[in-house]
Amino acid sequence: MNALLTSVVAGLTGGGAYGLLGVCAVFTYRLVAVVNFTAAAIGTTGTFVLVMLYEAGAPLWLAMACGLVAGTVAGIAIGLVMTAWFAESSASTKAAVTVALLVGIVAIGLRLTGGQHPHHFPDLFPGSAMRLAGVELTFSSLLTIGLGVVFTVLAETFLTRTRMGLHLRALSERPMAAELIGVPVRRLAVLVWGITGAVTTFSLMIIAPQRSPDFASLSLLVVPALAAALIGLFRSFWITLVGGIMIGVVEGTMSVFPGLSQYRGAVPFLIILAVLLWLQRGARWDEAR
Amino acid sequence: MKRASLRPVLAIVVAAVVAGAIITGLLPGYWTYLATAVLISAVALQGIGLVAGRTGMIALCQMSFAGVGAWTVGFLNVGGAPGGLAVWIVIGGLAAVPFGVAIGLPALRLRGINLAIVTLGFATAFDAILATITFPGQTRFISVARPAMFDGDGGYFVFALLFYVALAVALEFLARTRLGAIWLAVRHSERAAAAHGISIPRAKLSAFAISAFIAGISGGLLAGYLGTLVADNFSMMQSLVLFAVSTMTGAQFAEGALIGGILAVAFPEILRRLDLGQDIGNLLFAIGATQALSAGEAMSETLRRKVRGFRGARPAAPHPGVAIAPPAPPPRHQGVALATRELGVRYGTVVALHGVDLTVPEGAVVGLIGPNGAGKSTLIDAVAGFLHAYSGSVELGGRAVDGQPAHVRARNGVRRTWQTTRIAPELTVGDYLRLAGGDLPEEQVGAILSWIDCPHPDTPVASVDAGTRRLLDVAGVVAARPKVVLLDEPAAGQSYDETLKLGRRIAEIPNLFGCAVLLVEHDMDLVRAACSEITVLDFGRVIAAGPPAVVLEDPRVRKAYLGIEEGSAAA
Repeated sequence: MNALLTSVVAGLTGGGAYGLLGVCAVFTYRLVAVVNFTAAAIGTTGTFVLVMLYEAGAPLWLAMACGLVAGTVAGIAIGLVMTAWFAESSASTKAAVTVALLVGIVAIGLRLTGGQHPHHFPDLFPGSAMRLAGVELTFSSLLTIGLGVVFTVLAETFLTRTRMGLHLRALSERPMAAELIGVPVRRLAVLVWGITGAVTTFSLMIIAPQRSPDFASLSLLVVPALAAALIGLFRSFWITLVGGIMIGVVEGTMSVFPGLSQYRGAVPFLIILAVLLWLQRGARWDEAR
Repeated sequence: MKRASLRPVLAIVVAAVVAGAIITGLLPGYWTYLATAVLISAVALQGIGLVAGRTGMIALCQMSFAGVGAWTVGFLNVGGAPGGLAVWIVIGGLAAVPFGVAIGLPALRLRGINLAIVTLGFATAFDAILATITFPGQTRFISVARPAMFDGDGGYFVFALLFYVALAVALEFLARTRLGAIWLAVRHSERAAAAHGISIPRAKLSAFAISAFIAGISGGLLAGYLGTLVADNFSMMQSLVLFAVSTMTGAQFAEGALIGGILAVAFPEILRRLDLGQDIGNLLFAIGATQALSAGEAMSETLRRKVRGFRGARPAAPHPGVAIAPPAPPPRHQGVALATRELGVRYGTVVALHGVDLTVPEGAVVGLIGPNGAGKSTLIDAVAGFLHAYSGSVELGGRAVDGQPAHVRARNGVRRTWQTTRIAPELTVGDYLRLAGGDLPEEQVGAILSWIDCPHPDTPVASVDAGTRRLLDVAGVVAARPKVVLLDEPAAGQSYDETLKLGRRIAEIPNLFGCAVLLVEHDMDLVRAACSEITVLDFGRVIAAGPPAVVLEDPRVRKAYLGIEEGSAAA
């Protein structure tokens, strides 16, 4: 029983990161109308900047700061591509573009980081925060979940309570119309990309030490992130956060059973299928076409 | 099958024979070996081209389907199943189909993005599973047995070429059927396709299942090519790269798939010889795909456009005037074609329609007019089944259709046009008419087109001007001979003379095609020319109905249109 509980709690770090990544995906979708397949790759870029600097002997805090800046810049770079050439494209074209960009980022990333060459990922927040019913709760898990909650609250408030949030929602619906009524569309979109870049980078930095440490595998963490966003229907931040944590917990639980643990990677897929089946209750039309 | 449509098929076969002879006869063995890899990639690309290029969906697990095919071939090989490699490969392709259906079924009824997410999820899951279960015979190094005839580099090249050509020819034929036109229509506009009675989920699912089959075949071919396989051959990254390549080259066409296959093999080979990392090739595919998406045109599409321009497009000369009269109408009954009862629609707090009762008798042309925002288009959306919810009821020929989705209503007898034309430009005029009207005989297609002054059936829609496309819209809905057609501002963008002519044509619709017409229009000359009755909407309510001469003189109607009382207008 205790072993089970331990694994469930161990799944919390991953779950928190999935939730945070999922909330970022929803944030991006609601504000700039892009389902972003490059999200985790952006975070991975920043994480590898941290790792390479750390390996070169830079102090951890400096490496981390540089990594966050790199992730933000990578996010902005993707954002510039999207706003410059695809602002008026359909949602599915935009998604296809991010898939193509993902292929490109991973190619560059693998090249620069030496492919499967092992790297040492520093544990940023080592140690246990507290013991609960005989189970260690790590700093990392508390931090990702806490950050997830903070980001969710901020995103929710920002979108519904502020004037800029209103502008951004207008922007995602009709960029051209928003621009015509004087919303600084480009600048706001790039801001969104920068913020999500920084936040995804942070969550990737925390989760990376637990994963297979190569560029491609980390970039594909976008799958559980999008699964979480799908649970929240790309609308609700809270349901997305909870959904992401749940995916992590299910993965953690599976790792207890010897016959099942190799199939952990299939969890997001099964959850996506379940959510889609549940959504079957009402067909809906693709966006205004 | 027309002679014209056999030409591309013949071109594929001749090109394959020539290329096959050159490659097996003249090139050294290693080149033949590489050329085989090109063909196998091209087969995989044909699969994804069908889903992504032709039907416009994002599918990111093609290599997983290929893995299913390869695994099946390995399994049959280790078990010593009868039939040999060719049969195993086909079985492998069939084995991938249930996976495609299982993934596609829940994803395809909803937003297109969901398919991208669920397929990427499947690719991850398949990676994890394949890494655990491994390929049959992988640990014991049992190689997949090739047929004796096709052993050796040259032999296996011919084997792969046969599969590629068979699939290319089959796809070329399929593209020319109604299903092929349906896929293009779905890619262009799902709503417009549903308005022609097409079931969108079924159209998407058929494309997805066939593409899974083709992917499975490519996996089986790869199994025979490499002999033993590892999970890495079918990893998720491979699926993503395949998507990028197919987007870049336009793999929905045989030549696009082949160009893609050549690039996918040549880039890594060149980079390897230059001692550069092979992953740089993927970067080029990413850039190429992004470029193609921003240009809205893949390599094969550009190529086809250039070749067409070079050959000189066929003149879009109008079909000779009164060549054939459209066939006699089906017997008409005196009754009601369409009726709405207490129809109400709300968008949030805005009431778009408020208890609208409207009747379109059989054989009548009823005009629906009203100022902008009166609710005319909303009424058409509600009747045709494109609104989530409305109150009241819609009856077609006396039968309520309220629970039915749009494509079922279309089949049950209501067809509509759109304010902006939504015809897929890749179709020809004749293709479109058959897509909208069902399998019409050649003479009927010609007759209907000449009746409304549309160009020759072989004219590509892309070369037809916007005004004529609107006429083609009208031709499409009447060709289906439904109980009632809903025309949403068909004269927008037409000149005055054309408008009057269109008015006469619309007035002829009940007699020629046996359909009643509900015409939404701002142009009063058109309304006067075509309609026997008029209903006027203002702010979602019916404010007048009756014969045109009476209704158009009604002071309330004049006020609704001009916004002022008549007395003060004179002042």
